[in-house]
Amino acid sequence: MLQINNLSFIVENQEKTERKTILDKFNYTFEHGKFYGITGPNGSGKTTLAKTIMGINTLTSGQIIFDDIDITHHSITDRSNAGISYSFQNPARFKGISFRQLLSIAAQTDDEQTLMQIVARVGICSLEFLDKQVDSKLSGGEIKKIELATTIARNPKLAIYDEPDTGIDLWTIGPMIDLLKKEQKNHQTTTIVVSHNKNFLEAADVILILKQGQFVYEGNLDGAMPMLTDLGTCAAPDLCEGENDVRCFR
Amino acid sequence: MLDALDKDLLKAVAGLEKIPKGAYNIRKNGKLLGRQTSANIDIETNDEGTGIVITIAPNTQNESVHIPVILSEAGLHDVVYNSFIVGENSDVTIIAGCGIHCGGDQKEGHEGVHEFTIHPNARMTYIEKHYAFGSGKGKRTLNPTTRVVLKENAYAEMILEQIGGVDIAKRVNEASLDDGASLMIKENVLTEGNQNAESHNDIRLNGRDCSANLVARSVLKGDSKQDFIAVMEAHNKCYGHIECDAIIMDNATSDTIPSLKARHPDAELTHEASIGKIADDQLMKLMSLGLTYDESVNRIIQGFLKAN
Repeated sequence: MLQINNLSFIVENQEKTERKTILDKFNYTFEHGKFYGITGPNGSGKTTLAKTIMGINTLTSGQIIFDDIDITHHSITDRSNAGISYSFQNPARFKGISFRQLLSIAAQTDDEQTLMQIVARVGICSLEFLDKQVDSKLSGGEIKKIELATTIARNPKLAIYDEPDTGIDLWTIGPMIDLLKKEQKNHQTTTIVVSHNKNFLEAADVILILKQGQFVYEGNLDGAMPMLTDLGTCAAPDLCEGENDVRCFR
Repeated sequence: MLDALDKDLLKAVAGLEKIPKGAYNIRKNGKLLGRQTSANIDIETNDEGTGIVITIAPNTQNESVHIPVILSEAGLHDVVYNSFIVGENSDVTIIAGCGIHCGGDQKEGHEGVHEFTIHPNARMTYIEKHYAFGSGKGKRTLNPTTRVVLKENAYAEMILEQIGGVDIAKRVNEASLDDGASLMIKENVLTEGNQNAESHNDIRLNGRDCSANLVARSVLKGDSKQDFIAVMEAHNKCYGHIECDAIIMDNATSDTIPSLKARHPDAELTHEASIGKIADDQLMKLMSLGLTYDESVNRIIQGFLKAN
């Protein structure tokens, strides 16, 4: 359902004297209806990959095919209308826009009944949330719940969540995971979650570990555990070929 | 009689679809079009014949008065001096505003000087909207002045809006506050093209425990220019806050100068000011919800001006 071919993302400094490759000729195919958990060390390119799929980052080269359509040069708006939905790690805050208004933009209706149904479907936001302003007064957890609700309100074919648990209290993480699983099951939503949280990774059908712009692991959580629990530090990551099951991904 | 053009202007500046109920004074092209007083609200032409005096009786509760001005005559520059006396313990809403339709190449304009005396324990909400439209190339000028005197424990909320079509605007807001009085000014201005808007604010906090809050939101598009100057001067134990935010687009320019003057050791004055373009993360979020770039910009601006 989502095919990424030879995708590279390279950033340059302002003087264009230095280049850094974040994603390097990246290839992967995400299958319809599956739940993917992407993890990896800080700076490995997880958010860059997620944003490039949504069109927030413009790729340097490569191709993105979504539902058999080449969306490589499509705008964020077009990708959204094609069925991709994105939940930001640090959601935007607005002056003068309420949760009700954001939800209404996402669901393309201001019908009260429909909005209430969405809030009920999402579960983790109470109805009182509807009239809250999405501004700087919201707590980190509250804005993440709103972000999740607006993502789901799009009824996406592909939902991408970038670190959905940031700022979320311990009591909400469980219901949040249940919600994403329910959406996957009931609506066959292909789900990509970028997370460091083991609870989210446990919920995933496929774990992908990203390192230096490439997936270095694809499989179930059990197989990924030796890599995820190895706390050693690698002094020579370029030379080390790893030991036992622990390949060098640090 | 109101013609279709008058109705459009009245709707834009005063939210009126027809002649309002209750007290009103409608001025069209420098002449009185209609006036209605009520048991508690009196409207009279002033001695000089240059404007009106509106007197609200003490203890008047939950009444409103509409005083819109409409201009549709080419070359006219209308000047009025209106006085408002809000009686003790009353609670009223005053809806003013000026709408200009410019169909020709001659300039049109309006200068309204509004002086308010809000007596002890009275509450007043004042809404003033400015709007101009029409295909004519004549410059449309609106220069409003408000002077407010708030007596002991009086409260005023002033909502001042200019959302389009006005080429040149020079606003002056002056206020003085006695003991326990409270003032809230919300000013929203949108300029585009080659429009120019100035707002000069001078608020004097004279009374003990009085407070003032001035919140200005500006949106500047095209080659437009806005200057916002606000001075808050405290002469007693009191609280004052100035907040001015501007969204700047295209080649527009903005000068924002908040000034706090403490003339008493217990004065507490704060200000926050920001000028910047629309934040990328806001645009990205709305586009990720299916809006186009232009729709996202409009939605953000709408909210920004409404937030006030």
